[in-house]
Order: sequence, then structure tokens, then C-alpha cells
Amino acid sequence: SGELYCSLPNPRNVRFESINMKNVLHWSAPEGTGDGVLYKVKYAVYGVGKWIRKPECRNLNRTWCDLSSETSDYEEQYYASVKAFLNGTCSGWMETTRFNPLTDTKIDPPMVNVSSTDRSISIILTAPEKWKRSPEEESISMIQVYPGLQYNVSVLNKKTKKRWFFSISNNTLVVPWLEPGTAYCVSAQIHVTTPVLDSDFSKEHCITTLKDK
Amino acid sequence: GACRVSMSMTEIRAGFTAIKANIQSRDPIRTLSILSHPHSLHKVKSSDRCCITHQLFTFYVDKVFKHCRTEDSFVNRKISSIANSFLSVRRKLGQCREQNNCVCGEESTEKFKQILANYEGLNVTSAAMKSLGELDILLDWMEKSR
Repeated sequence: SGELYCSLPNPRNVRFESINMKNVLHWSAPEGTGDGVLYKVKYAVYGVGKWIRKPECRNLNRTWCDLSSETSDYEEQYYASVKAFLNGTCSGWMETTRFNPLTDTKIDPPMVNVSSTDRSISIILTAPEKWKRSPEEESISMIQVYPGLQYNVSVLNKKTKKRWFFSISNNTLVVPWLEPGTAYCVSAQIHVTTPVLDSDFSKEHCITTLKDK
Repeated sequence: GACRVSMSMTEIRAGFTAIKANIQSRDPIRTLSILSHPHSLHKVKSSDRCCITHQLFTFYVDKVFKHCRTEDSFVNRKISSIANSFLSVRRKLGQCREQNNCVCGEESTEKFKQILANYEGLNVTSAAMKSLGELDILLDWMEKSR
């Protein structure tokens, strides 16, 4: 096609930002350009010959494009590329590095559910779900994606400030021999051993053990 | 039974992660893959997995690492540590193959032929660097099929 002579500077910092395999392409506007810049996006499966345009990401006036659907097969790897247009001229295509959804995603912390008796607390952890196209689609837990997924759990005695750490593979933990009528705060993190992926720690969930009977 | 080589796999993964961006940036050919096209490793039958894993480790030891020198000493050190881990894993896989009488079925033979054809379709330095840049494809497949 008769491509315009492209004198516009290129988009910058073109990269995938991925959380639980919701894979969104982000970039920064070309240097020195203000408003009015439009963009188009294409992507390619690594090892396959052709670039594929994403119709919903044409004439874009924002600097991101959700490619989760196009990159949902995490057994493949991908590239994406962005081109800018302004006042009848354009930039070159700017490409990402090779994107591997399995190793390049960030995992959210687990959900934490806590209950207590007088001398113990029970913790139930739930790993986040992989991104899915619609609520009707079948949910896939990140545990299914990463068989080696584990949980790191921190339990803090609010009175003595003593903290324990546990590393567990299944999603339930009972902490026994605690003090009655005492507040304990629980926080948990997901740890995948290989590829190495660690979520942040969840926010603290505090609970007070029942008073002595 | 399953051949336990997980300790070295974690080392290999860590070593590769440290140089992945550097190595992949040396491979400008986006439209070709040595390991994953036209047929994905994930399509290999489980009965063929033991054989093709051993073949792939032999492929990397015999054909890839020796052609992957760079001007960056940090990268070179990581490559040689990965190569050493590959040697030890291949030795274990070799023992495992003998003990478990790993069958090399038609499918894994065909798949490995395709990999060699992909490799020989490029000049040796490009092919070696591309293969090294695809280590995560191999590691992802091995970990998923553990």
C-alpha cells in the first residue's frame, strides 16, 4: 500500500502490562506531540508469519489497547506494534519485546477468609482467576495455570507483635495454640516456584479469638 | 516413573530469565520458531514426552550452546551455567531413558525432525541464538507436563 512518508517520531515504551493474563498493550505518545495523535495497533503470534490488525484499536486517541482476547492462548508468545498519525503524517511501527503470557503476567494476591475459635484461627485462601472474555465463560483459576502455585501466609499477634510465616500448597491453614480473646491479623501472598512469580501480599484480615469458655 | 530433574530446571529458568531480553533482542526473525511451529510442543503425546525431552536436551547441548557466544561477559557466564545445567539434566534423562525404556514414537520423531529442519533453515548463529531465546518455550512445556 502507498504508505505516507512517516516523519512523526515513534510511539515510546510500547509494552504489555498483564495482570492475571489480562494483557493490555500500553505506550507513550511520540516525543513533542500534544493532543490529536491517533494510533493503530497490530499484533503477531511468534513463529507465525503475519501481523494481524485489531479493528477496535484503529484511529485510537488513547495510549492503550486491550489484547487479552488475542493473546489468551498462553502456550503461544506474541509481539504487538503501534503506529502514530498526526496532521497527515505518521510514525514508524514500534514493536514490543516478545511477550510470554505465562512468565510475563503479574498475579493478584489471593482472597483471604478467616474464622476463629478460642484457641485457633482457620484460614481459607482463594487464588485469583485467569482473565476471561465474559462472565459466562468458564472460570480458570491461576492454580490450573501454575500447578506449582503455593501460598505464603503471615499471621501477626497484634498484642505481642509476634509474627509467624507459613508456606503451604493447599489453600487451607489452621493455626492452633493461640491465646483466647486476642486479635490476630492474616495476610497472604501467591508464590509460583517456576517460572518465578510472586504476587503482592494481600491486605491484612484481622480477627479476635473467642474469649476462654 | 517420572524423572525428577526439578532442581536444575529452577536454575535453568533463573539463568534464562536473567538474559531473556538480551538474547531475544538478538533474534529479529519474528515469523519463524524453532520449537513451537508449525506444531506446538504441547501437542506431543505424553508417552512420547520422555523421548523428545531427551532429544531436545541433546539438541541444545550438541548444536545450540556452542554457537551462542556474545560480546557480553555476563550473558556468556549465564549461557555457560545454563549449558552446564543442561548437561547434568541430560545425563539424568539418559539414565531415566534406559530405566524406563523411553519409547521414541512416530510423533516425537516427526516433531524432532521438524525442529532440526527449522534449525537448519537458518544460518547457524541465527538458529542457535533463536533456539536459546526459545528456552522458555521448552521450560514452560516441561513444567506444564510435569
